[in-house]
Amino acid sequence: MPNYDKHELLAAWLEGTLTESQRDAFEKACSQDEAFSEHVAAANVAMMDVDSHSFQSVPSWNRDATFTSPDTTKWWQWQALPAMSFCTSMLAIVMVITGFEVRVDNGSVTLGFSSQPNAQQLQAMIDEQMTEYKDQQTAVLTQYTQALQQQQLATNTELTKYLLSSSRKERKEDFAALIEFINQQRSDDQMFYARQLNKLENHIYHLSDTVTDPQQPTLNEMQ
Amino acid sequence: MFEKTDEQLINKALQGNKKAWLSLIKRYESSIYNYALRMTGNRDDAMDLLQEVFVSVFRNLSNYRGEGAFKSWLFKIAHYRCIEFYRRKKPSHGLEDVPEVECQQGTPEQQFSAGQHNGKLAVAMQQLPLAQKAVVELKFFGQFTFEEIAEQLGISTNTAKSRLYSALGKLKTLLEVDYA
Repeated sequence: MPNYDKHELLAAWLEGTLTESQRDAFEKACSQDEAFSEHVAAANVAMMDVDSHSFQSVPSWNRDATFTSPDTTKWWQWQALPAMSFCTSMLAIVMVITGFEVRVDNGSVTLGFSSQPNAQQLQAMIDEQMTEYKDQQTAVLTQYTQALQQQQLATNTELTKYLLSSSRKERKEDFAALIEFINQQRSDDQMFYARQLNKLENHIYHLSDTVTDPQQPTLNEMQ
Repeated sequence: MFEKTDEQLINKALQGNKKAWLSLIKRYESSIYNYALRMTGNRDDAMDLLQEVFVSVFRNLSNYRGEGAFKSWLFKIAHYRCIEFYRRKKPSHGLEDVPEVECQQGTPEQQFSAGQHNGKLAVAMQQLPLAQKAVVELKFFGQFTFEEIAEQLGISTNTAKSRLYSALGKLKTLLEVDYA
């Protein structure tokens, strides 16, 4: 009889997979090995206990909390959107560079890459540019002329004011000098007349003495 | 007759069908709750564990390849969550460590709950280390084969059998004491 492990025998017995030789070994171990038989008894008690076991009912709990809604991608979060945006941008750039254009003539649509304008269109564009340039230059010249005129007017005004004020001042100074001269003349005259009067007074005084003293010269002699 | 299979419900849940997901929960919540109750010995902890398990299952639902029964996969996640739960509660304890005595007694409410409703085995299980408790739970209450238990716990079949044998060695005393 092969030598089986005790836990192997017990496991096989619990699962009902004992072979003939294992069954013999199991029965022998139960009768001869007290410890093993106690293990088997404990297993039996456990199985009986489980059979009579009543499951406890689950208390109310929040089952919804375990569920999280999977992330659904919104249309604006479409993953190809950036790639598509990039492609359309590139297409637009290529169309601009190559001069792509759409023409509608008499109900027919023409797609093409025309980058060279004809001579007539070119002349019209040049004329338009020249006219625009001419108008622009005329406007600038007019503006410049007006500014120059205003500046000239202001300068003339200033000059006139200066001349007027300077001549007025000169006249005032001349008059002042004249008045001063006249005043000086008058002062001299006054001093002259005062001296003359003094002389006359002295003469008269001498005359009065002469009348009294015949030795004294007369007024005419003195002069 | 018209009951949908687990795979059908899973596929619908993955497409965002909440009703399918809730149906799947209702199908397994009792098993998981009672598993959690026996593993933790506490109603509040069992409820927390129940919620954590189903949150984790939903998060990893897309990883379920349909290989093997959904129930096995579910209990595998439940076991990992349970280990996490124990690590959070007792960071220094290993899976093979015997629980502390005072933790086994619990509150009178817990003892009443375990003794009156869960039976002697459920009460005695609380004295076992987590590694052995998990094997006893899955073998006797979950009715899984040793291959399934080994796959769920990430151990070899031989280790699973050995752990059950060791667990029964401790349980025999506890059960005998209870029956005495």
